[in-house]
Amino acid sequence: MAAGFSGALQLTDLNDFITPSQECIKPVKVEKKPGELAKIKIEDDGSYVQLSEVGEKTKLERAQITLNDCLACSGCITSAESVLITQQSQEELYKVIANNKKLAEEGKLEDKKVIIVSISPQSRASVAVKFKLGLTETAQKLTKFFKDLGVQHVFDTTFSRDFSLAESQREFVERLKNFQNGEKNAIPMLASACPGWVCYAEKTHGSYILPYISTTKSPQQIMGSLVKNYFATSLAKSPDQIYHVTVMPCYDKKLEASREDFYNDIYRTRDVDCVISTVELEKMFEEKGVNFMELENTELDIQFSSVCGDELLSHSGGGSGGYLEHIFTYAAKECFEKTVSDIKYKTLRNKDFKEVTLQVDGKDELKFAAAYGFRNIQNLVQKIKRGKSPYHFVEVMACPSGCLNGGGQIRPGDGQSSKELISTLDELYNSLRTRNPSENQEVEQLYREWLGGESSEKVMKARYFRLERCCTQATMKWKSFTQPLTLNGDSDEATSEDSAVAAICDEYDDFNFTN
Amino acid sequence: MSGCLALLQTLKVDWSPSGTCLASASFDATVCIWDNNSEEFESNATLEGHENEVKSVAWSPSGSLIATCGRDKSVWIWEVQEDNEYECASVLHSHSQDVKRVTWHPNKEILASCSYDDTIKFYKEDDDDWSCFDTLEGHEATVWAISFDSTGDKLVSCSDDKTLRIWQCYEPGNEEGVVTHGSDPKWKTVCVLSGYHNRTVYDVHWSSVTDTIATAAGDDCIRIFQQESALANDLSKAIGSVIMLSWDAYVTITSTSFYSLQIAVQPKTSARPCTSLDTDPSVGDRNKPSFQQVAIQTKAHTQDVNGVKWHPKEPGLLASCSDDATIKIWKFTQD
Repeated sequence: MAAGFSGALQLTDLNDFITPSQECIKPVKVEKKPGELAKIKIEDDGSYVQLSEVGEKTKLERAQITLNDCLACSGCITSAESVLITQQSQEELYKVIANNKKLAEEGKLEDKKVIIVSISPQSRASVAVKFKLGLTETAQKLTKFFKDLGVQHVFDTTFSRDFSLAESQREFVERLKNFQNGEKNAIPMLASACPGWVCYAEKTHGSYILPYISTTKSPQQIMGSLVKNYFATSLAKSPDQIYHVTVMPCYDKKLEASREDFYNDIYRTRDVDCVISTVELEKMFEEKGVNFMELENTELDIQFSSVCGDELLSHSGGGSGGYLEHIFTYAAKECFEKTVSDIKYKTLRNKDFKEVTLQVDGKDELKFAAAYGFRNIQNLVQKIKRGKSPYHFVEVMACPSGCLNGGGQIRPGDGQSSKELISTLDELYNSLRTRNPSENQEVEQLYREWLGGESSEKVMKARYFRLERCCTQATMKWKSFTQPLTLNGDSDEATSEDSAVAAICDEYDDFNFTN
Repeated sequence: MSGCLALLQTLKVDWSPSGTCLASASFDATVCIWDNNSEEFESNATLEGHENEVKSVAWSPSGSLIATCGRDKSVWIWEVQEDNEYECASVLHSHSQDVKRVTWHPNKEILASCSYDDTIKFYKEDDDDWSCFDTLEGHEATVWAISFDSTGDKLVSCSDDKTLRIWQCYEPGNEEGVVTHGSDPKWKTVCVLSGYHNRTVYDVHWSSVTDTIATAAGDDCIRIFQQESALANDLSKAIGSVIMLSWDAYVTITSTSFYSLQIAVQPKTSARPCTSLDTDPSVGDRNKPSFQQVAIQTKAHTQDVNGVKWHPKEPGLLASCSDDATIKIWKFTQD
């Protein structure tokens, strides 16, 4: 399973050797009373009670380990994976659909959930290439497929990307001004649409890097707000009466959707309830016995989709959303009154590290880069740490070749190399007519109707948190191996798999694991 | 070395081919590059990126690349740039468990790594990134170390399964008909040395000077192996001995004083035949070498022997290190 996540996340102990069969070691702080030896008994109903010396029973609270605990703990994230898989898979969607049918049979129509699926343009391209279809046709067949399943609306996240791009453009110009006024942390601005990169930065680079990451939400999460907030209201539904599914090119989007920020405490619902990767979607066709090629071409849901008549629209700047190009042209115009019509990329050390420069009167006024893949992220992060980054903005993506090559995309077919697949995907994806977010009337209208004419912190912005490495392997091992290191050297490693776990336990002497 | 607390946590070091730089892999997830351009060794760069401890570091023969690997299961390749800059050229996630050792091919830009996942992997530069082109399976437990012979056509590996394996490189279109993929060579086991070690074999080093293999093991022994063809025809002659030299002797080593400083001559052991079962049937017989143990140094250290390394030029000079916190220098001689 971990193989589906991006390289950045795989490195972040996502699939450590602590296998799911082992207990989670998330320490739960317990008030310890001195001098008492407690006995713990399991009651018939499965609850745990503590017996005092005089035989009094105290019911023990169950330790709650949430997905977020797991994400915050670098000890073992393997447990989190199983949580993820059960919470965010097509099985959950099937359950909601089945439950809706049951409710309909029982006549409880008002309890039925409105099911909405938002499909990313990268996933759509992946399906199109797999079945050798055009993009519009694929979009129509996908709409048919989901509606047949029992989904009410099928949207396209290209629509919410308009907001994400427009917000990013404004954020950049503001940051640049602040930077010029002496605010050092304002620049470079680093793209935030890739959750693999964001999660990696939070876990590994914390305060060094987080201030630079754009606070604009990704297209997935803006679609989440749009659906659960604006659209729910227009349907006279509360957010929890809507079940929102996205189809995404990567597994890391599942982590993004489960961030605490995107959880509504009042209605106990997430902006995106379930993320299905493109490969999982392909599996759904199989599970449902659907011959995708032969599906009817249904009309598209045009409300939150980027279409002009029958024609699908996209954004310029490639398969990862086009953040670099959109911000570059906007900033050139806003800050330097330059109209950029042709963006010239300079490929640096490899094809996944490219640079764009705006020269005004011989001076480099804007220097942007696209850095894809883990190795380029590394070099970028190290440059920033050492104050040697020349960039104003960097479009950072965890996957080599960007989002079209996401870990959740459909694998190459027989005899096809992944390089061939990516170039086919790239060509098809970029074949659509592009439109600037500012040209989308509906976006402007929504800003007026929904947000009162301006950007909204709550709807458009995300926050990032440095994740304390509470039980990081570095500190943990340091403690446990200090002694053996000088005596035993590396060979102690032969037993390290056991001792690492023991070491975690040592470290948390003050905590109680199971109550 | 000044300001080198980090060395206390150092797991492995490697000299640059020029001998002017030392790279140290550390428990703190970093690799330090030490430079002795001036009188003292100074740390001039830190390679950061590994998630936790770095297990091994190796300079490529040209000195332009550094490979590192670690517990985070990844192998990293760094490019040496001007002005003490080191850029990450690739991060490889091919292994499924922690990676114990990285070693460069002696004359090609090919990297090999071995892991707790029981495999050995080979990497080459492909387009503008590195990729794994061969996975060597055969060991039944952690592969602790690997070492190329001087030609780079053979590789020896040692493992927690108490065996050594000798691997042979088969180029595309090889006479033996070993199936290869594209332009990549394929590596096959041609000899398994089992029955010699009673405990984990932690380290192995193939001398490029004498074509002799030394191993370090958990049974406190150092063993020396040679290929039969390299031995004299009379097997009784194929017996060597390992002699310990003092550390001082090594430090003050000169060509004249060298042999007089030996401390102990260990008893000889007789050779046992190598077991070559379990090799790949597709490999022609003529490529199945027979290796002999020509010497064993029992109680080489009072605890596990963790590492062995031959001197790059001086024939038969061997250094070993151990859990007993000592480094010993040995001289292997043949009668």
